[in-house]
Amino acid sequence: MSEMHPADIGREGHGTSPPTHTAADPPGTQVLLPETRSGWSRRDFIKGVIASGVTVSGAVYFGASLTSPRPLFAQGVERLISLNVNGNVRRVDVLPGETLAMTLRYKLGLTGTKLGCDRAECGACTVLIDGVNQYSCSTLTHRVKGREVTTVEGLETDGELHPVQQAFIDELAPQCGFCTPGQVMSAVALLSQNPDPTREEARIAMSGNLCRCGAYDHYLNGVMRAAQETQNG
Amino acid sequence: MMKDMIPGFELYQPVEVDRAIELLGEFGKDGWALAGGYDSLDWMKNRGKRPEAVIDLDGLDALKGITETADGIEIGALTTLTEVERNPIIRERFSILGDAARKVASPQIRNAGTIGGNVCQDTRCWYYRYGVSCYRAGGNTCYASAPEALNREHAIFEASRCVAVTPSDTGPVLVTLDAEMVVRNGSGERVIPAEDFFMGPAVDIERMTVLDPGDLLISIRVPNTWAGADFYFEKVTDRNSWDFALVSVAAALRTNGDQIEDARIVCGAVQCTPKRLHGVEAMLRGQSRTEDLAERAGAAAIEGAEALNYNHYKIPLMENLVKRAVRG
Amino acid sequence: MADLIGKDFTPPDIRGKVTGSAKYAEDFRMDGMVFCRLLTSPMPHARVRSIDLRAALEMEGVVGILTADEVPEQNGPANNILTNEPHFVGEPILAVAAESETIAQNAIEAIVLDLEALPFCVDPLQSLHPAGPNARTDGNTIVPREGVQEVKWTLDDFAAAGEGELPMGEPTAEWSYGDLEAGFADAALVLDESFVTASNAHHSMEPRTAMAYWQGGKCYLHGSTQSQAQVLGGMARYIGIEPENLVYIAEYCGGGFGSKGGAYPIMSIPAHMSRKVQRPVMMRISRAEEYFLGSARAGFQGRIKIGFREDGRVTAADLYIIQENGPNSGFGDMGSAAGAMSLVYTPLAMRFRGISVLTNTPPRGAQRGPGQNQLATAVEPIIDKAARQLGLDQVDIRHINAPDNNARYGAGQGPVTSAYLKEALDLGRERFGWDERRARSGQRTGSKVVGVGVGQAFHSAGSNGFDGLLRIDPDGTLFIHTGVGNLGTYSYASTSRVAAEVLKYDWDNCEIVRGDSSRHLPWNNGQFGSNTSFTMTRTNYAAGMDALQKLKQIAAIELGGSASDYDVGNETVFNRSNPSRRITYARAAQRAIELGGAFSGQEVPEDINGMTRRSVEAMAGTGLIGVARDNLERNGTVPALSAGFIEIELDVETGRVEVKDYLGVMDCGTVLHPQSLATQVKGGAVMGFGMAVTERHMYDTQWGLPGGVGFHQAKPPSYLDVPAHMDWAAVDIPDPQNPVGAKGIGEPAMGCAAAALLCAISDALDGHYFNRTPIVPDMIVNASMGRGQSHRPLQVNTQ
Repeated sequence: MSEMHPADIGREGHGTSPPTHTAADPPGTQVLLPETRSGWSRRDFIKGVIASGVTVSGAVYFGASLTSPRPLFAQGVERLISLNVNGNVRRVDVLPGETLAMTLRYKLGLTGTKLGCDRAECGACTVLIDGVNQYSCSTLTHRVKGREVTTVEGLETDGELHPVQQAFIDELAPQCGFCTPGQVMSAVALLSQNPDPTREEARIAMSGNLCRCGAYDHYLNGVMRAAQETQNG
Repeated sequence: MMKDMIPGFELYQPVEVDRAIELLGEFGKDGWALAGGYDSLDWMKNRGKRPEAVIDLDGLDALKGITETADGIEIGALTTLTEVERNPIIRERFSILGDAARKVASPQIRNAGTIGGNVCQDTRCWYYRYGVSCYRAGGNTCYASAPEALNREHAIFEASRCVAVTPSDTGPVLVTLDAEMVVRNGSGERVIPAEDFFMGPAVDIERMTVLDPGDLLISIRVPNTWAGADFYFEKVTDRNSWDFALVSVAAALRTNGDQIEDARIVCGAVQCTPKRLHGVEAMLRGQSRTEDLAERAGAAAIEGAEALNYNHYKIPLMENLVKRAVRG
Repeated sequence: MADLIGKDFTPPDIRGKVTGSAKYAEDFRMDGMVFCRLLTSPMPHARVRSIDLRAALEMEGVVGILTADEVPEQNGPANNILTNEPHFVGEPILAVAAESETIAQNAIEAIVLDLEALPFCVDPLQSLHPAGPNARTDGNTIVPREGVQEVKWTLDDFAAAGEGELPMGEPTAEWSYGDLEAGFADAALVLDESFVTASNAHHSMEPRTAMAYWQGGKCYLHGSTQSQAQVLGGMARYIGIEPENLVYIAEYCGGGFGSKGGAYPIMSIPAHMSRKVQRPVMMRISRAEEYFLGSARAGFQGRIKIGFREDGRVTAADLYIIQENGPNSGFGDMGSAAGAMSLVYTPLAMRFRGISVLTNTPPRGAQRGPGQNQLATAVEPIIDKAARQLGLDQVDIRHINAPDNNARYGAGQGPVTSAYLKEALDLGRERFGWDERRARSGQRTGSKVVGVGVGQAFHSAGSNGFDGLLRIDPDGTLFIHTGVGNLGTYSYASTSRVAAEVLKYDWDNCEIVRGDSSRHLPWNNGQFGSNTSFTMTRTNYAAGMDALQKLKQIAAIELGGSASDYDVGNETVFNRSNPSRRITYARAAQRAIELGGAFSGQEVPEDINGMTRRSVEAMAGTGLIGVARDNLERNGTVPALSAGFIEIELDVETGRVEVKDYLGVMDCGTVLHPQSLATQVKGGAVMGFGMAVTERHMYDTQWGLPGGVGFHQAKPPSYLDVPAHMDWAAVDIPDPQNPVGAKGIGEPAMGCAAAALLCAISDALDGHYFNRTPIVPDMIVNASMGRGQSHRPLQVNTQ
């Protein structure tokens, strides 16, 4: 066997035969293997791969972005802008593609906002923008000029914790703590819009914040407690 | 594959719609219209898309908000999904749209994500998003339709080299409501029925909607035709937050007693565009709303469905959702 | 001992979590810090032929590039720091440091990498087939004590298995006890079930970012680990320095679940880079990289033959596990699974056979109940199947097989320290209203069906032999030094309270010292294996008793008599017969400094670890030092056991499952910290639900590409995927080998929930068993609509 088709690289065990089952058939235990290739051995395959020096099928591994290269526009140009963060005006150089999470964490020293995924899939980066909870990892910093940004660091006043923060402590809501700042911000946003939510309403409002430790029950207890304490004044 | 750190681009932040259209026309394929950012930033961080210029639409206040018109409502394309969900007119007359908006992703995404972005968003085929060079990415193969490919989320209808599905929740609803999309570019404005707004791979394998570079979705008009109808919306997912539909159904029935006068039924995530079930709608007109009718409607809905390796469950699932929509 | 133990309290680290002042590795900054990103393999198995770095090095802002030949090579099938032969998509080949992450990323794209594709494998059964591929060039299995080997089964082995049955060729691990044949002969019912449990990613919330710099000949490393003391030696080795020259800081850890239990190689990359470029280096790990580098649970392709008597008693169990092990040495899941089998069901006879097969997927490691929880998800539904066929209640059949204090564990059939699973089942049965709910099973409302289930799990939960370390300073403050780490469970704190309890200290006068190796910490075990509550209570107790003895001795020296004449209270040492003759702890500490010797740490016990010794030496003469090795009696396995009770509603038309109610009941000995136990039970349940119905690795078999990277694809449960309220309970019976009666918990809390949910799904479907974890909506729709499944029965890493 002298020539190995590039598409077969790594497909050892998969011949070009059709799948051994279809939706209609009950699936069997048959392992897909090209036993029908006479005179072909596994060692031949390995030798073939190494000798042929193939990276042709690399296209799938290196992706579309590299098949049509464009000149890299280094980073873009930073522009000095003013941001309103936690009630303070901060002047900072910001790249066009810079996200609010990155600006807060790396340029403004506010590391309370966390990066859990950077893809709007977890909520650890949740901040308030004009009082509304949003993912700072997916907000361009240039977009929040002229808006009020509130991070977890902006909640404590004169050493007094926000009721949500205190309630989370009292209910032992955080475990590892990494999702906590985001949870706090979503809870604060909820209670500022709906000071007396039902547990179900709270649950939906918090549903954009993932907790891998699974502390949802305790966070909800904290939210309900904070609502109670705030009602009581 | 996920590489992180957005490559550089020029950022434009127009506050006038005309200026935005001018920029989109100027940059064409090298420009990118940025609405909520939840589709866009993913691509840019993964370095799958590298626009030279990003035109940030967030400053276009004229495109935000919901207004009454003579015969319906007009929703600015940049209206957030949260706004759509909470709007009193939508709640009262077109509750199905609010229901669909409420099911999109997560609260934070709904707070910034726009209805325009939701209907224009790119497909979520995991091979395509991974960054492989498939047809949709300008290459010459489809990885998801290969004999052993993992394609449980992919299409059961209208496969045409590409088997990706529409991920939008509001798209099927807007088709159900006979909505119209108002699109503007440097040459003028045109109005496109929602059903014709989406494109399948047979028409253009690289785009999900009819928008050309230079086009801007301005607003969505929803006529009063279906206001206050019997609505049904259901989205089946793995998780109850963040996840895209495995199959969804949006239905509007106008009934007189238990007689169905007219119907619209559209399914999501079964093909690359919202799938309007014309045949089922015809079957329903003039009929009594019974369990038997529901069953026949379900069976009719899935006629012609073709499964891939891992998605044959979508066929009975779609059947059941259509049944439930008719059942009410 | 009732004042501090068993009470809720505010742990010292919680405030930082809610204010954002708690610093994780990615939160630290240093002047001149540069950013490091990784070039990772795009292929499942490849060899680097050449790397052209020129364009990257010339790029403005690039500070340095680190390649595999510049870092210590890890021997054998170990996780690498960097490599020129990647064995999985995502394995780091080299690292680039630059002034910004974007520049680093741009530089990576400018690197020309020539990779040679090598054969790969993502399904163990395929690799065992005579013509199947191997994940590594040197073999396809890991054999205990022998390393990588090539093992191929015969065509006859495969032919002998019927459709959907696991072939069982030559194993590489085996043990047994009792008479298996007689056991099966005695059985009224024999079930032979093949099953698959999927791999899934840990996906800790905090990706394992690390930051390092060098100063004064020492390396300072900010990392993310569950443990503290256990990390130092390993990291020093990876960096190539002596442990004394490493300062390791990890006050907070954003989740680990087993993936950050100790040192791990890639954490050393910023240290190597920093040494090379002479700047502090921040290596931010992205979520995608965390998927690849953040470990995963081993998958199982398995088969079990179980014999049951009429009354449900398990007479024999024959377990075979093929473990999907990733490309490296992985973890001992299959052996642990077998151990769990032997204890949770106490079969009268048992055999375990297993083989650990390599695959080109992210390296596997311990994940919360590694092996034990896979076993729970596989076997618990089979127990239900037997119950159904024998006409028994699901709780009853578990009860008759549950271990008690006389149970034997594992291959060696050794003793256990205590076991109260029967009591847990009884408590749960009543508290959950099991009998009433079971009567509702199968009740239908439209397309929704009620299902109920009970699940069980186990993990060993205690170790010993570690050092406790305390200091009372001349102001009278008690400093409790703890080197166990901080996984986020607060057990570092609750176990520290034992020392305070022994000394009858007011907790407000106590401070916990931890999180930074330069703070003079003792040699402790790590925060893994559910062991902290058992191990650290003993450890702190030992140190507490040492300090107590010294306090009494000092009082005797001061006030006359002998140490046994004295007692303690209100932070004073007083003479029992004449309590007015007393000295304060503060005064005693001053005296300790003056007296020197063992009192102030000038002399240390012979049997303490070198790390502890160094810590004591550094503190010598600064107060009264309590230091001791835990030499308390220890005999047998410490078992944490759990039972989960669940009610669900399943929609047969859509395949959706809603958990209506859940109760987790723990046998973890005396409860140390009720609020924290509650959160472990519920948090474990959430993770268990994910394991049961949403999470799994997926690999395209043609290209070896991963489909489950990132949270959205991996699908860990959200708020809306778990019930709004969950319940918890504990048996709360003390374990005799612990001074406060505590055992660990944490891992079984997950397994019993996963198992219960899977059982309830089958219950709702009137006894349809999937023999697969997870069960996702498509599988349920196919089952309820009478269609076949898309996957082949024994297929892994698939949808």
